[in-house]
Amino acid sequence: MGQGLEKGSVRYSVQVVIIGGGATGVGILRDLSLRGISALLIEQGDLAHGTSSRFHGLLHSGARYAVKDPISAAECIQENAILKRIAPNCLVSTGGWFVQMPGDETDYVEAWLQGCQEANIPVREIPVQEALEQEPLLAKDVLRVFEVPDAAVDGFKLVWDNAKSARRHGGRYLTYHRVNEVLRDGERVAGVQGENLLTGEPFTVESLMVVNATGAWADRVAATAGASLDVVCDKGVLLAFNRRLFQRVINRLRSPGDGDIFVPHETITIFGTTSERVDTPLDHQPTDREVQRLLDVGETLLPGIAGKRLIRAFAGVRPLHREDRELTGASGEGEGREVSRTFALIDHEVEEGIKGFLSVVGGKFTTYRLMAEKASDWVAGKLGETAPCRTAEEPLLPALSERLRRKALALLPCAAAEKMLERLGQEAVAVLETIREDPGKGQLLCECEMVTVAEVEKAVADPDAHHLADVRRKTRLGMGTCQGAFCTYRALPLMWREGEKYDPLGRELIRFLNQRWKGIRPILWGEQLRETEFTRAIYAGLLDLQDKGTTTE
Amino acid sequence: MNRRDVRRDGDRQADNKLNLDPARGEDWMHLDACIKCGACTAQCPVAAVYPLFPGPKSVGPDAERLRLEGIALAPGCLAYCTNCKTCEVTCPSSVRITDMILQVRRQEQEAGTGKAICRLGMRDNLLGRAEYLGRLGTLWPPLANTVLGWKITRRLLEKTLGISARAPLPRYGRKFRTSDIVPLVGETQSYGRGETESYGCVKTDQNRRSAKKVVYFPGCFISYNDEATGQAVVKVLEHNGFEVIVPHFHCCGVPLTANGRFREATANAQHNLGLMQPYLEQGIPVIASCTSCGLALKEDYPRVSAPGAQRIGAQTYDLFEFLWVLHERGELRKDFREVQVSLAYHAPCHLKAQGIGTPSVRILRLIPGVKIQELDAGCCGLSGSFGFKAEKYELALQIGSTLFQRVQEGVKEEAFQAVATECGGCQVQIEHGSGAPSLNPVWVLYQAYGLGISSAIG
Ligand SMILES: Cc1cc2nc3c(=O)[nH]c(=O)nc-3n(C[C@H](O)[C@H](O)[C@H](O)COP(=O)(O)OP(=O)(O)OC[C@H]3O[C@@H](n4cnc5c(N)ncnc54)[C@H](O)[C@@H]3O)c2cc1C
Ligand code: SF4
Ligand code: SF4
Repeated sequence: MGQGLEKGSVRYSVQVVIIGGGATGVGILRDLSLRGISALLIEQGDLAHGTSSRFHGLLHSGARYAVKDPISAAECIQENAILKRIAPNCLVSTGGWFVQMPGDETDYVEAWLQGCQEANIPVREIPVQEALEQEPLLAKDVLRVFEVPDAAVDGFKLVWDNAKSARRHGGRYLTYHRVNEVLRDGERVAGVQGENLLTGEPFTVESLMVVNATGAWADRVAATAGASLDVVCDKGVLLAFNRRLFQRVINRLRSPGDGDIFVPHETITIFGTTSERVDTPLDHQPTDREVQRLLDVGETLLPGIAGKRLIRAFAGVRPLHREDRELTGASGEGEGREVSRTFALIDHEVEEGIKGFLSVVGGKFTTYRLMAEKASDWVAGKLGETAPCRTAEEPLLPALSERLRRKALALLPCAAAEKMLERLGQEAVAVLETIREDPGKGQLLCECEMVTVAEVEKAVADPDAHHLADVRRKTRLGMGTCQGAFCTYRALPLMWREGEKYDPLGRELIRFLNQRWKGIRPILWGEQLRETEFTRAIYAGLLDLQDKGTTTE
Repeated sequence: MNRRDVRRDGDRQADNKLNLDPARGEDWMHLDACIKCGACTAQCPVAAVYPLFPGPKSVGPDAERLRLEGIALAPGCLAYCTNCKTCEVTCPSSVRITDMILQVRRQEQEAGTGKAICRLGMRDNLLGRAEYLGRLGTLWPPLANTVLGWKITRRLLEKTLGISARAPLPRYGRKFRTSDIVPLVGETQSYGRGETESYGCVKTDQNRRSAKKVVYFPGCFISYNDEATGQAVVKVLEHNGFEVIVPHFHCCGVPLTANGRFREATANAQHNLGLMQPYLEQGIPVIASCTSCGLALKEDYPRVSAPGAQRIGAQTYDLFEFLWVLHERGELRKDFREVQVSLAYHAPCHLKAQGIGTPSVRILRLIPGVKIQELDAGCCGLSGSFGFKAEKYELALQIGSTLFQRVQEGVKEEAFQAVATECGGCQVQIEHGSGAPSLNPVWVLYQAYGLGISSAIG
């Protein structure tokens, strides 16, 4: 990495700077790296700390868009197939059903079947009787059921696997670095400057080109270069249930609306979502009203939904490009702007004469690779590089070896071994080695998600982990039934051993508990209320945290 | 539906009644209720002494969430659960932990994954069929006892079937038959319960047709190993004016379930329910003296699809629970003679699981002269056939060690002479582990009613 030239400022120099470490940003980083273009990604939090980990986790088959947005539908099914090929470790091909309920528009079904056919989305009708046997919780009065190739995708893992793959090809990223300004040199962009949020140090990057992939933040970042973008922040609320309620994705077969998708993720089920304008991407607190509304709507697909245990509610903010939305139906609007109706690449040279500056806005997680390909094509074109895009063929990670699996099963209880392999892939080698040397570290630190002491130890020591929340995203610690009641205090000694990295621990603890609390508060009834009361007793009672627990993030 | 309408207990009762079939996928096992407190594992007698058993929380509700995801637990570790149900008694959230464990064992068995080594399969088959073993034994008890007494036989059993050569296999006695109680002659007769103990038993003329009737479910231990106690139970009930009906029941199914023979267990339950059905309809109570049979009748039978399944749960009573109900209604005969005896009481795990306290202690304390103290020292470790298995014999003794120690100390300090406990398995294991005599508490009552003298009491 670059040397600090001025006192107190760290300098880097690179061909392309990418701002934003969500799916779009890391997708671009990987694509450019595979083409041999030197790129540095800057992210203000942990990777995927924005919308790319606060989303539904549905790898769309495209069927949801088959009627209203045929281009999106076609893009989704194409990307769906590609991702299943290049990133099998990050997704589970659960399949998905579209179910028609009494009262849903009947002519929609025909239009939908037609749309799916045109977009090349394979559809198979499932007899209702059979469907009810396979999904016993589904409402008994369902009218028709169709199967499509939906899948569940782990956003966090996909983002990190992209980043790791990029790193293997020379790509670099900096987390907890915020860009404060896109620098100009006359008509051209000259790089970015900002602050290392962990140390408070300023940094500067010199580059030929800047790609703004900051999602819901994109207008703010563009403005620092004097460019304008119109991004609308659209909040969507999601509910996480304690267990798998359905074995596959369940969509309601009607015009897309609120509360019509259930996605099974590992041990839990995520249900959503809603849509509401908000002023800032930071506004992701679900409200009681939104939660209640979701439960009311969800009752149709899942009778008795309110009696199923919720473990938390959370929200993400969709970045909608305003013009893009208003121009729905038009294509290829204006020169210099390559528009699909699903996402927008805005060349600020065409818009306001700023050279070397591209903003990528909108889209879906499912199409992140396609967006990255288009953005990278643009960058490569400007740089005169001719290497083609390889991201549609090159797998993210090498496949898991059978030997590793056997070793894991020999050292750990089967469920714990499977979960660890799912999370770590080939990186499990190091964890298994630790357990082999010290079997005590094979003990489960997080029992809900079966995470061993050795795995948490590794995550804690990872140079990319700076807060307990980073460890959580890497291990799923605190994401199960108990929502951190037990694993949090168990993880602290491991963090303490890392010395100054996590200092002070008390603040880490409070910050983490408050983050958990933020998601629990809107669903505080029933079993989760009992759990929370228990958690409160542990931390506020036994560990005496009561008066200091005010730190918020 | 408003989310704030969710009332747990109401829900749960509805759950218990309606979601009888696990295949329906409803949360009838109360998976969602688990708050991960770990109390169940802290109390599990096996987890306490056997580090390779991860405990009820881990193999129950924790693993269940993963199972729903399609990730199974290693089959081997479940086999260490003795199905004592201590975890369920402990759980503050009514999580049906052992149902989760049993269900997985059932699924494993159906899928053929749980099929361990063939030898053990056969052993579990044999131990699961206490009934067949019993029938065989009672055809000619002296021979069976002698043959089972031979070291060589036991070593053979261990080698071929994995049944521990050191485990206290219960002795086989005369088969309990209702006809034994029908003759109404007032003479003393002695019923052998092995060479060392024998109980005097007076046949009475109490079992005339009475308007008050009960159905008695004797269970395998009474039927094949300890028919004398069965007679005593019948006499005590008759003394209280009941006509005792004993249809030809099969094994209740608990040992089958514990050894993974689920289909047969269900078939037995259906057979037994069929026999009880006419009586259940008339509102006649069913009495069980074996605490495991009683628990099965109360908890498992209502989930079987058979006529009578709706009634059996509410109409089944543990013997002493029933007697206590009579006492509270003022209907228990209290023509007690003084019985000078001091006893320790061990509550069988499956009695605790019934959630009815320790009614035998309460009843025995009504009898002048009886001193009885509760041991409260955990599980005896035998758990039906668990402790017979060669690989689990030592473990079973280790589980029971607290109890055995307490008993030995008590006997040495002359705090009590014998241990009273309803469960035949516990009796055998306590004698084996501590050397102290044990007896079914019904014998104290039997003697107090003047029905005969029990040698264990003296
Ligand atoms: C509720 C909800 C449900 C959804 N469900 C699905 C779904 O099921 N399937 C699907 O395909 N799509 C779904 N989406 C859409 C999808 O999540 C998003 O389109 C996608 O995650 C956007 O990724 P991104 O990389 O563009 O943005 P982000 O993931 O938000 O990344 C932008 C990053 O930029 C960083 N950043 C911002 N400003 C700065 C700065 N100044 N300096 C440094 N870094 C900065 C942010 O911290 C952030 O990490 C959903 C969206 C929402 C809101
Ligand atoms: S039934 Fe008994 S042995 Fe089995 S898990 Fe529960 S407490 Fe432990
Ligand atoms: S099953 Fe019951 S006792 Fe065990 S951890 Fe869960 S709530 Fe606690």
